[in-house]
Amino acid sequence: MNDLLRSLALSLKISIVATIVTAALAIPLAFVLARRRFWGKSLIEALLTLPLVLPPTVVGYFLVILLGVHGWIGRWLNEWFDLHLIFDWRGAVVAAVVVSFPLLFLPAKSAFASIDRELEDIATVMGASPLRIFWHVSLPMARRGIVSGLLLAFARALGEFGATVMILGDLSGHQTLPISIYADYTSGRSLESAWPTWLAIASLSLISLLVILAYNRSAALFQE
Amino acid sequence: MRFTLLPACLCLLALIGAPFARSETISIAAAISIKEALLEAEIAYAKETGDEVEFSFGASGVLLTQIKNGAPIDGFISAASEQVDELEKSKLAVAGSRRVVAMNGLVLIVPAGSKLKLTSIKDLTRDDVKKIAIGQPKSVPAGQYAMQTLASLKLDQAIAGKIVNGANVRQVLDYVQRGEVDAGFVYATDAQQIGDRVKVIANAPADSHEPIVYSRVIVAASKKQAAADRFLSFLGSPAGKQILEKRGFITEAPAKTTTQPASK
Repeated sequence: MNDLLRSLALSLKISIVATIVTAALAIPLAFVLARRRFWGKSLIEALLTLPLVLPPTVVGYFLVILLGVHGWIGRWLNEWFDLHLIFDWRGAVVAAVVVSFPLLFLPAKSAFASIDRELEDIATVMGASPLRIFWHVSLPMARRGIVSGLLLAFARALGEFGATVMILGDLSGHQTLPISIYADYTSGRSLESAWPTWLAIASLSLISLLVILAYNRSAALFQE
Repeated sequence: MRFTLLPACLCLLALIGAPFARSETISIAAAISIKEALLEAEIAYAKETGDEVEFSFGASGVLLTQIKNGAPIDGFISAASEQVDELEKSKLAVAGSRRVVAMNGLVLIVPAGSKLKLTSIKDLTRDDVKKIAIGQPKSVPAGQYAMQTLASLKLDQAIAGKIVNGANVRQVLDYVQRGEVDAGFVYATDAQQIGDRVKVIANAPADSHEPIVYSRVIVAASKKQAAADRFLSFLGSPAGKQILEKRGFITEAPAKTTTQPASK
């Protein structure tokens, strides 16, 4: 039970931090890509959406190559900040951000794209700065798509296994819920003994989805 | 006419059937640490008999789980006695088919470029040693042996927070080789196999862990038990032993009780 609580705490920590980081990256990017047109935009959008369809093991593979001690980025992180992302929960956050990114980016982008542009223009005419327009006009109007995306990204981060297991590995006392289920399975523990773990993760994911549905319904009612 | 046609038909049938009846393909699940030796043995064996062997390599504990769950495996080579004991206990092994295949040693390795200058297993308690890889003790024999050694040297408590579990011993080797961990416990043969990309710091004292014995057994559910026995027995033949020894395994039971690995 103690192990379960520790795994639960680690999974929640990783997913919550990952969702915050994803929000900070995906929402501004979604806004820019919904508004601006420039050469190579489609390619950038495709690359940002790629983790949605790529096997998580491929994502994990690239992240290990990039972030490993001798990796292109990992080498510098190691030298300048003494930061080792492999076998570290912060590395798992990076993995969770990459795989959950498209789930926030896509709905946020369509939400921004469907806003009545006139309201933004009016705000500009009234002298509001672009940042203020984003914060007080665009963001509130796109909130439905963004909130759904945030919850989906959170649920995806919580369930992330493939890339995470390659980066976080199997650390005693630092297993996420999905990794602990897999470690139990491969170690020949009876499958029944994993029920508290899968119950925990299935309930959390179900709750996230129910919150999305409830939110969407109330938002729809509010708009009517 | 009737009497001449029948034998002719039978002869023809026998001729067509012969190659199919004679060459068989068996599936062997084996500890990943013995992989290269078995692949080489298979080539020699296939030349001699025409039989083919398909391997599934992994941590012995993982393979045991697969066999228990009904994986189509004919023979099993485990890197520890525990898994074979359990297969026999649950009546999934052919009674009396168990033999010792080889023996091995456990070593502590560091990445080739390591700047930590570790010289003994006790150095693992130093503060500048951040991560130590061992096989996941729940399923990887090399990890079980490593934990036994650490416990017998009374280091297990001090380094508990530094342990990274590998899914099998070759993953431990990979973690060390890539420099993602500061040190790791692998078999003497693993260190020999990867060459100069890792450095052996110390041999685990042979009395600090259970003897590292690879045992083989035939799976009771197999329909190719005779063919499985032929291949597994080949490993015990002089030709098979020579291949194993070339890869650093010990095939003769030592006269004394010590089983120090032959480190090259």
